[in-house]
Amino acid sequence: MEHITETELQLQNDKRTRRSALLLGGAALAGLALGQKAFAQTGPTDNDILNFALNLEFLEAQFYTLATTGMTIDQVGLSTKSGGGTAGGAVTVKANPKVTFTTPLLQQLAGEITQDEQNHVKFLQAALGANAIAQPKIDLMNSFNALASAAGLGSTFDPFASETNFLLGAFIFEDVGVTAYQGAAGLITSKTYLDKAVGIHNVEAYHAAAIRTRIFQAGTAAQSASQAIARTRATLDGTGNDDIGVGVTNGAATIVDNDANGMTYARTTTQVLSIVYGGGAAGTGGAFFPSAMNGTIK
Amino acid sequence: MNNKLPGRGPLSRRSFLAGAGGAAALVTAAGCGDSTPMTALPTNTASTTNAITDADILNFALNLEYLEAEFYLRAVTGSGLSDADVGSGAGAVTGGTQVVFKTPAIQQYAQEIANDELAHVRFLRKALGSAAVSRPAIDLSNSFNAAAMAAGIGSAFNPFADENSFIVGAFTFEDVGVTAYHGAAGLLTSKTYLAAAAGILATEAYHAGEIRTLITELGAPYLTYANQISALRAAAGGGAETMLSGSTIVAADSNSISYDRTTDQVLHIVYLSAASGVVSKGGFFPNGLNGTIKATAS
Repeated sequence: MEHITETELQLQNDKRTRRSALLLGGAALAGLALGQKAFAQTGPTDNDILNFALNLEFLEAQFYTLATTGMTIDQVGLSTKSGGGTAGGAVTVKANPKVTFTTPLLQQLAGEITQDEQNHVKFLQAALGANAIAQPKIDLMNSFNALASAAGLGSTFDPFASETNFLLGAFIFEDVGVTAYQGAAGLITSKTYLDKAVGIHNVEAYHAAAIRTRIFQAGTAAQSASQAIARTRATLDGTGNDDIGVGVTNGAATIVDNDANGMTYARTTTQVLSIVYGGGAAGTGGAFFPSAMNGTIK
Repeated sequence: MNNKLPGRGPLSRRSFLAGAGGAAALVTAAGCGDSTPMTALPTNTASTTNAITDADILNFALNLEYLEAEFYLRAVTGSGLSDADVGSGAGAVTGGTQVVFKTPAIQQYAQEIANDELAHVRFLRKALGSAAVSRPAIDLSNSFNAAAMAAGIGSAFNPFADENSFIVGAFTFEDVGVTAYHGAAGLLTSKTYLAAAAGILATEAYHAGEIRTLITELGAPYLTYANQISALRAAAGGGAETMLSGSTIVAADSNSISYDRTTDQVLHIVYLSAASGVVSKGGFFPNGLNGTIKATAS
């Protein structure tokens, strides 16, 4: 070849650009890593916490959207990409997951929660902007089977199979969302973000109550299943005693998942990870997040 | 799916807020205009933030918990807080009789909420120690009649008359508690108190979600009553309401984040007063709250 064509030159330049970008990127990453180390001594940044929440909201939004429409959130117009454009991870779910609702009020509730969780995803993505993580890989099939086994509810569990199963599937998430936001609230430094996080925390509690009230009404079998799930969550988070299923204790219903002081439980990010990973190791993941969450808290 | 869900109805969360001015006319001609501030913490609180201590805020919350505890305990047991739980020189309680529950589940729901509110009173009194305010005078009779009149429900309303009326009575308080704690959370300086407030607040949100679910199941006329009360609260308390329906169990804004209210807005509601003007007593607290947060700034 006698001379370098324009295209080749362009390629070389591109390579060089890439190379320098990589070098620069490496330096930037090193800086970031150092920064994280520094932060680790005082706690995660607000962005770290909001991204942690965004992982959970992706999970909830996918579950409810699939249950009510049979489609994933990206199929109904939401973005699962990161703020920088990285594609979101795949969702593992059975074919035709749309739940056959026969109770109009329950169907309406499911629709409302779907909308709320989608709004939470969009709100957090907007708040995080370029810092928003992409959706991690999500599993809504093997995860439920594994949790059902752990809870002694059988070797398989399909949360999309019936209204009652849908309620129990929703139950698994909602109280965890409440405890996660409560634990996170104390870590957030921005007053604005704190206000929004508390507002989302409340909405998750409304959801949890609505779901738990309907499980109560569904009868003793559903109540017992919720108790088994609550015990499993408490075991997974290492406390063994910070979760109350739906039922009746001393003449009082247990719609609220709270302690003797009338306060809902708070979970650390580590405890929440252990639950949603089904006991899988931090950084490795499992259950609902088979390849771990995205972001720094994972 | 990305748009409004069909069940959400013609009155979206936002448009209902905007329409709250009409209901204000029922209270008084004076307070119609101000239904806008509901996302940021409004200035009337911010201007006095420096003077407000965490103890002031917890005492403000304690007044509200006294009210809720008296309501639920009297409904469930026929008697209210014991002398050990109200402080010295406590105000009298007017009204409040045991409800004859015909449905075991509703009695169990009521018992649980009564237990929670009692626990909140005890927790806050303990946290405040000698700084805890005593129970102020509480009216559970004339207050409900006046609220019913102002809301257009009728000339009288007795929430203790039967179990369904009781649920509507409960509705009067629960969402207010959520917005009050949400607004207060941002004012607290102590992380410990913030965590406690978040735990109580989520419990109130569970209660609210449960009560709202039950009212949608009851349907007319209770659902209508609830929305008339909601409109009254919106008029007095700066909007911050979501019209209740089967597809709007959660009271939240268009981002699916729960509302917050300033202490002024909460006072206007519990004093059953107009949205503007300086008031220091009335409605559920005939002699006003105890503590430093007692009179509205405007």
